[in-house]
Amino acid sequence: MSTFYLGLIVLVYMLSLAYLGYLGYKKTTSSDDYLVGGRQMNPIVMALSYGATFISASAIVGFGGVAAAYGMGIQWLCLLNMFMGVIIAFIIFGRPTRKLGVLYNAATFPQLLGRRYHSRAIQIFAAAVIFLCMPLYAAVVLKGGAVFLEQIFHIDFNIALLIFTLIVASYVIAGGMKGVMYTDAYQAVIMFFCMSFLLVYLYKQLGMGFTEANVALGNISDLVPEKFSLLGHQGWTSMPKSGSPQWYTLVTSLILGVGIGCLAQPQLVVRFMTVKSTKQLNRGVFIGCLFLIITVGSIYHAGALSNLYFLKTEGKVATELLGDIDKIIPYFINHAMPSWFSALFMLCILSASMSTMSSQFHTMGAAAGADIYAPLTGNNQKNTTRVVRIAILFSIAVSYIICYLLPMNIIARGTAIFMGVCASTFLPAYFSVLYWKRATRSGVLFSMWAGLLASLFALAFLHKAEAVPFGLCKLLFGRDLLIDVFPWFAIDPIIYAFPVSVITIIVVSLLTKKE
Amino acid sequence: MFGIEDPGIWLPYVLAVACLAFSAWWGISKWNKDDESDENEKTDKRYK
Repeated sequence: MSTFYLGLIVLVYMLSLAYLGYLGYKKTTSSDDYLVGGRQMNPIVMALSYGATFISASAIVGFGGVAAAYGMGIQWLCLLNMFMGVIIAFIIFGRPTRKLGVLYNAATFPQLLGRRYHSRAIQIFAAAVIFLCMPLYAAVVLKGGAVFLEQIFHIDFNIALLIFTLIVASYVIAGGMKGVMYTDAYQAVIMFFCMSFLLVYLYKQLGMGFTEANVALGNISDLVPEKFSLLGHQGWTSMPKSGSPQWYTLVTSLILGVGIGCLAQPQLVVRFMTVKSTKQLNRGVFIGCLFLIITVGSIYHAGALSNLYFLKTEGKVATELLGDIDKIIPYFINHAMPSWFSALFMLCILSASMSTMSSQFHTMGAAAGADIYAPLTGNNQKNTTRVVRIAILFSIAVSYIICYLLPMNIIARGTAIFMGVCASTFLPAYFSVLYWKRATRSGVLFSMWAGLLASLFALAFLHKAEAVPFGLCKLLFGRDLLIDVFPWFAIDPIIYAFPVSVITIIVVSLLTKKE
Repeated sequence: MFGIEDPGIWLPYVLAVACLAFSAWWGISKWNKDDESDENEKTDKRYK
């Protein structure tokens, strides 16, 4: 595709975003509008925004690459995304969250926790965790977009990334939650159609049907690279060997970490507070599930099947052709799809990145401005909105810097880390806010501290994937890990930290008097 | 099933479709159904 047409497509896309951002800006007249869209958002817009926020470029580029390397076992993640991320999240968590949000006039996740227990400490602690930890996740999302741009356009992605980051910043800062959700919904539609086309065209390229391609993929299990088979890989249509390092990575990190972690994502939770009534949430459940099965299900399936394509065209499976898992999907799109689709898919990746990033930036800004600055200074709403805007700018800058410090193969892992930390820190407290009346202020606060510290401890001293590159254990104890015995170093931190957080909230709540 | 022998692989495909079917049923059957307490939210707020 010529540069002219490519530029034209990007220009139309950017102008559409600018218009939607402007629409959000025009319709934003209060801090409630800026933080929760005035609690009057359309359920379809809400569900699409939820899905687009949920599915980042990490999910497409990173986990699509994981599917190409590990195989179809990653479809458990798609299932958990749908079941936990939409059905459980909307029905069990979303409905009471919306109601309590109205009852306590909470416009952010930390406010929901803090106001339920009349505790400024809880609100500020939750906001601080968001403001300090979310830049890592945002950086991972940024990297997903950057890797794709680098592969597709062979350009200096520093400049492209800077421009695209500034565009996100402009509509988030100007349009607030309404700008974010309108653009999210638009981007979700692009993602939906791109993923549908990707799957259909892949089958056309392979010249096979659904079952036939699965059989063919099963038949090449002897081509699994040795480094993977030593770790438990048994083929792309088989689960890894039970108890093997790869099984632990797949099950504990990717499936449990992300599958459960999605329930306590502050940027997702706040969306439940943007709709007017429970029936709006009920209506959103189907849209959310349909969006996820098409987008996530397609890319995981296509990722695994890409091995057949690479074998047919290059004579090698994906991980032998490309060392960096994060580069498999961009390479695949660039070579297997028509050139016009590469341009369109670029918009899909940009959409995935931008929709997640915009929500992350908005959430980080709200955490700093509305949840930390405002209660500490007693500032009025007008100033709070200004502080939120400045905080958004700051968080963008931090995420941008972190993006350049990230190592290879980090996209899927970085997402899992953030989701795991969120689940361990927030989920027991969040659940108690909604359903456990015996939980006390101390119980919630201790639980969040325990979940966070246990996560950080496990990341720094127990889990090999982070502890070794991080190096703190080596520095303090002269060895890479505290327990260097399999399977302990392969078990994801969420497996230790989440129960610690749950036990803490139960024990401390029962031992302390309800306020 | 679907040319895949390992149930650990085909099961999530089947369950994902089941989730989609459930979500469609839930959305349609509760299209206009609000929780009773929704009607009383303003009252709740007054007494909070």
